[in-house]
Amino acid sequence: MAERRVAITGLGVVTPSGLGIDALWEALLSSHQGVKTIDLFDPSHFPCHAGGQIDNFSARKFVPKTYRKSVKVMARDIELAVAAADFAFKDSGITTHGMDGEMDIEPGRLGCNIGAGLICTDLDELGMAVNTAVVDGKFDIKAWGHTGSSNLTPLWLLKYLPNMLSCHVTIIHGAEGPSNTITCGDASGHLSVGEGARVIQRGDADVSIAGGAESKVNPMVLLRQLLLKRICISRNESPETACRPFNADHDGTVVGEGGGLLILEDMDRAKSRGAKIYAEMAGFGAACDPTGFDITKSNAGSLDLAVAKAMTEAKITPDKVDMIIAHGTGVAGEDICEAKAWQVALGDAAEKIPAVCITGSIGSLFAGAGGVEMAVAAKAMEAQAVPPTVNFTSAADGCNLNFSSEPRKCEINHIVTAAFSVGGQSAACVFKKVN
Amino acid sequence: MAKRRVVITGIGTVNPLAHDVEGTWAALLECKSGVNKNQLFDASHFPTTFCANVKNFDLKDHFPNAEQHKHAGRHCTFALAAGHQAWMQSGLGEYDKLDYSRLGVYLGSGEGSLDFDNFTSLMVDAWNDGKVDTKVWADLALERMDVYREIAQESNMVVAHIAGQFGAKGPAFNVLTACAASTQALGEAAMQIRHGDCDAIISGGAHSMIHPYGVTGFNRLNALSTRNEGFETASRPFDLTRDGFVLGEGSSIIILEDYELAKARGANILAEIIGFGSSADAFRITDQDPQGDGAAASMRAALADAKVKPEDIDYISAHGTSTQQNDEVESKAVKQVFGEFATKVPISSVKSMLGHLIAAAGATELITGIMAIRDQILPPTTNYSTPDPVCDLDYIPNEPRKAKVDVVMSNSFGFGGQNDTLIICRYD
Repeated sequence: MAERRVAITGLGVVTPSGLGIDALWEALLSSHQGVKTIDLFDPSHFPCHAGGQIDNFSARKFVPKTYRKSVKVMARDIELAVAAADFAFKDSGITTHGMDGEMDIEPGRLGCNIGAGLICTDLDELGMAVNTAVVDGKFDIKAWGHTGSSNLTPLWLLKYLPNMLSCHVTIIHGAEGPSNTITCGDASGHLSVGEGARVIQRGDADVSIAGGAESKVNPMVLLRQLLLKRICISRNESPETACRPFNADHDGTVVGEGGGLLILEDMDRAKSRGAKIYAEMAGFGAACDPTGFDITKSNAGSLDLAVAKAMTEAKITPDKVDMIIAHGTGVAGEDICEAKAWQVALGDAAEKIPAVCITGSIGSLFAGAGGVEMAVAAKAMEAQAVPPTVNFTSAADGCNLNFSSEPRKCEINHIVTAAFSVGGQSAACVFKKVN
Repeated sequence: MAKRRVVITGIGTVNPLAHDVEGTWAALLECKSGVNKNQLFDASHFPTTFCANVKNFDLKDHFPNAEQHKHAGRHCTFALAAGHQAWMQSGLGEYDKLDYSRLGVYLGSGEGSLDFDNFTSLMVDAWNDGKVDTKVWADLALERMDVYREIAQESNMVVAHIAGQFGAKGPAFNVLTACAASTQALGEAAMQIRHGDCDAIISGGAHSMIHPYGVTGFNRLNALSTRNEGFETASRPFDLTRDGFVLGEGSSIIILEDYELAKARGANILAEIIGFGSSADAFRITDQDPQGDGAAASMRAALADAKVKPEDIDYISAHGTSTQQNDEVESKAVKQVFGEFATKVPISSVKSMLGHLIAAAGATELITGIMAIRDQILPPTTNYSTPDPVCDLDYIPNEPRKAKVDVVMSNSFGFGGQNDTLIICRYD
């Protein structure tokens, strides 16, 4: 029996440069710079003040009325995923348990793969309890054990388990099929979409919601990324230009938040219901770099191998690739490793194929990045247009990919998108135009 | 094209009972308890003062180049030791034709533990007027916190260290679906081989939540046993008097391989993975579906995938956490799926001896299933004394039992309604 084919029939994004794919797409076409000075907390004593934060955001308006009280047990990462899922299902035209009307897919045939990160605890929430267990100016573990800890809400832990992104989404939308949570940093989104597609290919689900979400705009993450020396600390005066992937003066990334979820659907099902098909998920590949555990050295997780595998599955050669979406963190060493990996995978074509990187506009979304990048890829296929790369003016040494600060129109039949994590995992997807 | 078959060629474990497979298996058959007074921090004033922690472990005792992993977190060191055992047993390292770009890593590893003292004192020292002053916090944190200690908390770092130790360049995944994680990792890893994405894959899980915030989190949920007097018998799955699970820690690593590769290189095949099922309750974040529909869906999917009938299952390695809810729901789900055979198939929970290894639980329990097939003997559910009317299956109470064991089902159910089931069988 031939393997089933997988269509992309819905897109949902929440990003600092727009909620919903249409808003994000317009923002990217106009080179919108979504990064600014963080005000979700006071960053003034950190060396970097810039971040890609989403203003005035709450999941409350993205959940059914009956589920609103559950929003208070959602960490921000979960809220982002819930909102992205709402956008994605509505865009797909599939009616789920989360909407008015009858669910038009069997619950057990609806799967979920949402990549997530290490969700950071709210320092004020935990601090409120911790500070009731202070004896002589110091935290006291005994006082914490018998009384202090009881000041935490009973469901505290459930706000921070990474699988709660998918759990809330499956509960809201009635998805009872296979449900997974991949936690591989920035590679999580592509790995989740790849696995979500495999689940449909092998017949274990007919539709799957896949991608990732994460909120990194908090003190704990900013600290960790600063300690890793991955953050731009030179641009507090012009935060919107702080993240400049592949640009000549790239010198770090900024923390961001957001998520992107795709509706993956059995191609025959999508066609028979007359769904809008953005693209076919035609190839997936994953790889890792065995030196990735050494965090003192930049690497791109053997992204060349992941891209080559995805292209092999899609049965295409580099000359058939019309656009690439580079991950582009803006960290100089990582950009150089990534550009080199694309060149290994695509050969001479790498310098010519129109390339896009969206990180400069929205910041680093970690587990949320891949889903947004893939949603942009799907939208680009529909629009047959390559959006500009925000904060790009001239290429950094060793980064000879074809970025542009201007939007471009061209015929697009195949798009390759890939990402990699700190730690050395990578994944790539090939999207193919469906006629 | 026929699906590729998936076999197991190496297993390794570090857990509260022992630091290897044979020691663990012997302890389980002797009904030993891995539960102890918490030795990792002062839990004397917590609602739960005990746990099942790994004892006397040092990675240096396991392989020579442990130094290169000096920044690995506690659960990661368990995984490296378990991985080394599994890798050596598989013989893959000796096979010079192995394509390392087709050697994958697919783990269900937990997050590492917080740098507790530093992290907590920061919240005290930066506390001002009912909240953390992030200016003070930033000043102090930048001075006190250690980059390696922070990054070791990222759950993908276990995958990174395992890939580094064994040279894997293939697909690398980490899943974190709570208590179901390593069963799900093994299932999806098997699918990677079946689909042809990998030829061999290092799978399993690792976790340690035995730290003050981990215990706090579970205590607040009322999920842990508080049987502080008589803690050795606190983990009592399916018993009427069960009052919660016992938090454990550890890692189990399992090498999966394409059958044709294993055969070609003359590997010793320990068992074959024939079925995987996965489902979501989509019910509530706090409770399981009370009828066990989600758990039943997972078992049914695994049976269908394996093309075996309920009566073909010789043993069920239960999730059996010793919480009121899980054990009742799991028993109901087994009855739904197995019908008239439900009371005939032996089912036990080794969590009665090991405690609950959270993300690492499923892989550890699958290893006990592999050993049961090898030795034709079933591990018991210990501490079982008072039958519960709603848990009325054959739980193999208190002593191991000789039996014909060819096909084993292993269940894992995670917080939030994550259900995963594996089926393995004897390989001859």
